[in-house]
This record gives sequence, C-alpha cells and structure tokens, in this order.
Amino acid sequence: MEIDIKKIAKLSRLAIEPEREEKFQKDMQNIIDMVEQLPEMEAGDLSPKVEDAMALREDVVEPSLPREEVLKNAPQVAAGCVVVPKTVG
Amino acid sequence: MKYEIVVGLEVHAELNTKTKIYCGCKNSFGSMVNSNCCPICTGMPGTLPTLNKSVVDYAVRMGYALHCSINNICKMDRKNYFYPDLPKAYQISQFDIPLCENGYIDAIVDEEGHTKRIGVTRIHIEEDAGKLIHSDDFAGSLVDFNRCGVPLIEIVSEPDMRSSAEAKAYLDTIKATLQYLGISDCKMQEGSIRCDVNVSVRPEGSTEFGTRVEMKNVNSFSATVRAIEYEAARQIEILENGGEIHQETRRWDDIAGKNILLRSKEDAQDYRYFPEPDLKTVYVEESRLAELKASIPELPNDKLLRLMKQYKLPYFDANLMAENPDKADYFEAVAALGSCQPKNISNWLLGDITRIINEKNLTLADTSLSAEKLAEMLAMIEKGEISTTAGKTVLEEIIFSDKTAADVVEEKGLRQMNDTAALEQVVRDILAANPKVVEDYRGGKTNALGFLVGQCMRASKGKGNPNIMREMLEKALNG
Repeated sequence: MEIDIKKIAKLSRLAIEPEREEKFQKDMQNIIDMVEQLPEMEAGDLSPKVEDAMALREDVVEPSLPREEVLKNAPQVAAGCVVVPKTVG
Repeated sequence: MKYEIVVGLEVHAELNTKTKIYCGCKNSFGSMVNSNCCPICTGMPGTLPTLNKSVVDYAVRMGYALHCSINNICKMDRKNYFYPDLPKAYQISQFDIPLCENGYIDAIVDEEGHTKRIGVTRIHIEEDAGKLIHSDDFAGSLVDFNRCGVPLIEIVSEPDMRSSAEAKAYLDTIKATLQYLGISDCKMQEGSIRCDVNVSVRPEGSTEFGTRVEMKNVNSFSATVRAIEYEAARQIEILENGGEIHQETRRWDDIAGKNILLRSKEDAQDYRYFPEPDLKTVYVEESRLAELKASIPELPNDKLLRLMKQYKLPYFDANLMAENPDKADYFEAVAALGSCQPKNISNWLLGDITRIINEKNLTLADTSLSAEKLAEMLAMIEKGEISTTAGKTVLEEIIFSDKTAADVVEEKGLRQMNDTAALEQVVRDILAANPKVVEDYRGGKTNALGFLVGQCMRASKGKGNPNIMREMLEKALNG
C-alpha cells in the first residue's frame, strides 16, 4: 500500500515542512510495510454479534463539569467559549 | 425541452432525550455556553462513550413509524473529519448497518387526500457537533460545546420526490411524525431539524438520473422549497445553454435567495469510516422491539385521511386536527356522542374554541368543556333552540365554568324565538322602519337583505331565529 503523506497531512490538518516530507513519507511507509507483514487474518464473518452486545446507559442526567474545568486547558478563552481561528462555512 | 426535477432529502432531527447520546450531560437548548459538557463530550483523551438507551428506543420507534425494517443487531462507526466544533475530530455515527432501513412515507400531496409513496433508505443514530459563534468585531471564532453529543437521527430518503411541493409534503410528514412520537422538539429556529437537499434534473420521460448537486444549510421547510426551485432552475439553464452539471456541494443562502459553490467533487471529504472501537454491538432484544412497535400511535397522515373519510371533513379541518392530536381526540369524543353534526363540531372546535384558548394561551385540557357539554350546546343550535350568535355567548359562559349550556340559556333567556307570529311582527316593523333599504333591495341591491336580517336580529334582542326571519323578509320583499 502506497502512502500519500501530503494527503494524510491535509486530512489531519498538520503542517509539514516540504524538506521533511520525504522523511515522513519513508517512516510512514515503513510502518505500513511492517503491518503488511503481519499474518493475514481469516476474513470470515465480521458482522456484529449478539454475544458482543454492550449494556446501554439509562437516560439519567449526571453532573457536567464546571465550566472553568472544561475551559482550563484551552489556549484562549473569551465569553465562556474556546477561541479558535476564524472558521466560516 | 421539458425537465423533471428529482429530489432526495437527508433530514437531521435532534432527539429530546434527557441526556446526550454518549454521556450523562444534560441535553438541553439555550443553556449557558459550555455548561453541559464533560470530558467525554469534549473529546478528552482516555474517556469512553456509553450509548444512551433512550436514543436507540426513539430511533427504533421512528423506524417503525416510517415502515422500516429494524437492524436490531448493529454497530456504531467512526466518521473522521476535522472541524473546530467537533472536539474528537470524529463523529460516532453509523455507516454500513443503520439501525433502521428500507421504509417509506405516504405523503399527502393534495386536498383530496391523494398520497405519494416516498422511500426512506435508512435512519441511523449519531451525535451532533458543537456550535461556532462568529462576530465581525472579533478576529477568531468562539466554540460552544453544549451541542456536542446531542443525539441525532439522520433520515435519508430515496430520490423519489419530483417537485418542491412533494419535498414539502415529505418534510411535513416527518415533522408531524416526530411530534406524534414525542421524540423531537422540532423547533426549526433552534435548529432541532435540519435538512440537506439533493437536486438533479433530467429530460421528462428519461429513466436515468442527472448529476446531482447537494445543498447544505437549508434551515427551514420553506427554505427547502426555495432552494429546490432555485437549484432546478440553475441546472436547467446550464443544460439549455449546452453546459453540463458538475457533482458538487453548494451552500444555500436563504436571504440572498441563491446558492454558492462550497466544494467540488474533487474536494469531496474523505471520512475514513471504520467500526467504532470504543463501543460494542448494539442489540435491541426482540421483546423490546415488540414493546416499541406497540407504542406507535395512529400516525398523522393516517389520522388525517381517516378523519376525512370517517367524518366527511374537508382536508383543511382534518389537517388542523391531525396537527393537534388533542383536538382530534376531543373532536372524536364529541362526535361519538352522536348528538350533533361532525362538521359543526369541527367548526366550533377550530373556530371559537381555539380562538378562546389561544387568547388565554391555554390548551383544551385547561378548560372545563367536557365533550358532553359541547355536544349539548351544539345539539341546541342544530335543533334551533338557540341561535349561533347565542351559542357564542353560551360557549364563553360554559368553557371555564361548571355551568351547562342549558343553565346559561335559562339564566340569560337565550332561547331562540321560533314563534312565527312574533317573528312576523318583528319583520313587519323592520320593513316599515327602513323604506329606503327596501327600495334598494327591490332595485337590485340584494345584499341589502343581510342588513335587514341584522336589524331583525337586533330588534328581537338576538333571540329571533335568523333563518325564519330571512325567509319572511325574502317573501315580503319579493312578493
């Protein structure tokens, strides 16, 4: 499987300097090659199974975090909100 | 060339569960920004989602209401995209196995009650994203995460609609169904129902679909109609000028009344769906399915068509009652007593009774007007014992009190005068007192009759039977 490092960087919104593209391309390709060497799993039936069912949560309100806690790690806060670069559309 | 419009719709409806879909935070609109948030819905590392049982129940009920088959063994999937209102950078949704699929809606397309069947491809459950707040005098954007994790169902239609009117009928049916089931607040202005619109056109008679264009940001049902008409006209103009339609996503601007290119097919999002590793199989037991199926009430379109057929009501009346099931129930309770005409019940219920309770911002349940009390009053009107005008007075007196119509008629002396001799006297007096009007009538101004009937009513203090007096007047004037 071929890796397109520029596309992956774009999807993840990561800025990669052009001079480092080659290095990351190679590193990622090595990871893929390694995974490809793992023994092939039996394809079999991958559909969800009742025996793997999870318990569902009852619809009961639990306390939320105080707002100060929610915003504590944000780099910038204004009017009780996290500030991000202007994003429209 | 004549063209046919082809429309498919994706409707997102927020569910009104108490808590969010994957955590116990409160699901409510209009709270203080970032006050209904926790580490799970803000996407903190190391947290695990837990699926809300009510979300599954609500979605299954909607599935049954739209005649879907239910995949009671299904799974959640991860849809990856980067946007600041999505703190995990993925949405937990459903991909290849939706909870409900292969259903349909019989939308009512005209006032005769004709229906058109529109396929429902699938209904799946997923989480909403947060809200971005923009201000011109602020360089950045602000993020409110309260809406993150609010439960949504996405209802995807087949491309079965052939006009904006059919799309509107489909949306109205979805909204009314959500309201009947009580599973969504359906407040467009709060964004609790949103719609993506797919439009293509093709030469009339063609069986192949044209290239479709998707429109985002369509925020009301009336905007959907405008957006479809604009987009169809845009595509037809391109084709007429020898151009071709490109598969793309456009953004509807309802104020400007036009759409603009958001992204072309080449820039289409790559969502990299994969099974959600943090949640296991979703399983709804067969016994629970049966309970949920049994909980589906008579649905709005079924009720509307039944009211039209069973009680010979016009579409307008039946539709107003189907939109207000409490009124429909009340109507049927009065009709079941069998002492008055269904159309008469409907006229009073949708007219004066609705006006009175609306003025006071109340509902039918807040009144003291039992079905028996209204039936008694309407029977008195139909038998000519009181006039319609007197009926209005009686209604005002009995609607919020323990009094019956008979009590009020007695107390206020409202019994209609049907005594021919007395009425003839009134008519003679009025004709004598209005020679000019009589002349006008005989000269061809036949609407002068209404004035004379009014004068007779006044002279009889509202008690004279207007139909009898009208006949007497006509006889005297034309004789």
